[in-house]
Amino acid sequence: MSPLLKVTNLRTTFTTARGTLPAVDGVNFELGENEIIGIVGESGSGKTVLSRTIMGLNPRSNINITGSVLIDGNEVVGSSESDLRKLWGSTVSMVFQDPMTSLNPMMRIGKQIDETLRVRLGMKKADAKAAAIELLRKVGIPSPEERYEAYPNQLSGGMRQRVVIAMALACSPRLLLADEPTTGLDVTIQAQILNLLDTVRADGQLSIILVTHDLGVVATRTQRIIVMYAGRVVEIGATADVFHSPRMPYTKALIESTPKISNPSHTVLPTIPGRPPDLYSLADGCAFAPRCSYATDRCRTERPELEASVEDGHSFACWNPLEINQNVSLRTSKGQ
Amino acid sequence: MSNETTNDAVLALDAKPEKKEAMGIFFWFCLAWIGLNVLVAVFANVLPVADPVNIDFNHYSVLSPPNWSHWFGTDGNSRDIFSRVVWGARSSLYVSISANLIGFVIGGSAGMYSAYRRGKIDLLLSSVSLVFIAFPALIAVIAVLSFWQPGSEIKVIIVLGLTSIPIVYRVIRAATLSAANQDYILAAKVQGATDRRILLRELLPNVAPTGLSFLMLGIASIIGVQGTLAFLGIQQGDAPNWGEMINESRSSLDQSPWLAIFPSIALVLLILSLNFVGDRFRARFDVTEVKI
Repeated sequence: MSPLLKVTNLRTTFTTARGTLPAVDGVNFELGENEIIGIVGESGSGKTVLSRTIMGLNPRSNINITGSVLIDGNEVVGSSESDLRKLWGSTVSMVFQDPMTSLNPMMRIGKQIDETLRVRLGMKKADAKAAAIELLRKVGIPSPEERYEAYPNQLSGGMRQRVVIAMALACSPRLLLADEPTTGLDVTIQAQILNLLDTVRADGQLSIILVTHDLGVVATRTQRIIVMYAGRVVEIGATADVFHSPRMPYTKALIESTPKISNPSHTVLPTIPGRPPDLYSLADGCAFAPRCSYATDRCRTERPELEASVEDGHSFACWNPLEINQNVSLRTSKGQ
Repeated sequence: MSNETTNDAVLALDAKPEKKEAMGIFFWFCLAWIGLNVLVAVFANVLPVADPVNIDFNHYSVLSPPNWSHWFGTDGNSRDIFSRVVWGARSSLYVSISANLIGFVIGGSAGMYSAYRRGKIDLLLSSVSLVFIAFPALIAVIAVLSFWQPGSEIKVIIVLGLTSIPIVYRVIRAATLSAANQDYILAAKVQGATDRRILLRELLPNVAPTGLSFLMLGIASIIGVQGTLAFLGIQQGDAPNWGEMINESRSSLDQSPWLAIFPSIALVLLILSLNFVGDRFRARFDVTEVKI
């Protein structure tokens, strides 16, 4: 069976006054039915551009996309907006970062949900309302009949993000892209929203791509993770494998720079020295080499490609991979 | 379950009734004044006021100061100033609202469309609008109307309406641009909404408050411009209007100031009210996250 999503050699470059900026540079991965995958990386590593390219949502001008994105057999790269519209909502949908701006402030939330149902699924007004209320109930909004009439500014951030998720799920998509869905929320609400996403995935035939910079978010809820750096995939594998034996020093550094509750208080948090590279002038070698303590001359001149690790499906791009099972541990945020 | 209790707590916090910012007594006074002007303008012909145009030879009283039978006095042709001020509201509001409708229908839809579409069409329309804005509009209006004589109301409406298009276009385009960049437009898009639906159902309600407050200011400014045109003698016609009345009073301002005072007060009060209401609308409907 072919996978739900197949990304092949995807490259998204922006043409600007300063030159060509490769925001996503040769990404390959697949996603199966009912799977949840995390994409992690620092700001500017290309996570958001990657997710928007998968949706086909990038601006039309000054952009060059090559490679292929197949969603359920439909090619996204190079498709016209009217073709994409047939996919959007019913096959692939998206939850945006900021619930404060992703709801129309001038429309009652019920209207925002049932309009989609009426226009896309041709439901009658009363049926759409009932379905919208059912969706609100499903995403855990108390007394959905009353909330149906509410305007977005009458809801808290967490409630709004639930409404955004309800909207995204309205036409029962098979793939949901969640671009930092919990960044604007406080931690207790974060956990609720993530649990909600996992529940709806477990309920139906839904696959989720969870884009985040927060390792705690992906650690317990994803089956696989993709680590991105400077627009490239530097490590990919089952979540447990990547966390327990990261092979790429960047992944290890990311994991180590996550606060751990087991550390005594006032422990200085390790940070990654330097800053993300300037994508306009990437050197030939590994993009992480200038910040990497393991870097050798080869790292600076020759770019490593993804190669398989010992575990199934675990690959990394590094000339000097770390030993397997270094004692790296991460306290996850489960049950917060 | 702990989730449930958290939800209830969140809900309880949310349930607080929203406190609305008071508009203030002056706002309601201004709104009432605008309403009165509109009513008077609509019903001028059924109101029990004297004939504003024809001369009443039975009660001939030239340039009489305000008295019980002529509240605002009479002019050099024995016509009742009160009646002419009332009828002036009709002319002012008719010309101004019609001209603004032309400007808003054409300029507003062009502004929304080009801000939503972006690209070449936006570049073209924006550049053209800037060229027109750079040219002083009043000079253009006076030049066209001086050539296209006699300057009836309908001609004034057309010319003022067309000249207001570029500036309405700029304002609506800017408002649409900021709304179109919000995630909820993207969210509607990825749920498969068509362009037409995004423009009419998502963008229009968000642009409308800005449009409404700008419409108020636009009506006020065109009443002023129409007064200017009438004062300069460019707009002529049977129907009295405030600018024309002020113009006619010029020669006898020292002996009979009531000729100028009453239409001026009417003009100032209406423009002031429109400006104030427009400004409050803008502040009120400026739905931002600040309030939340």
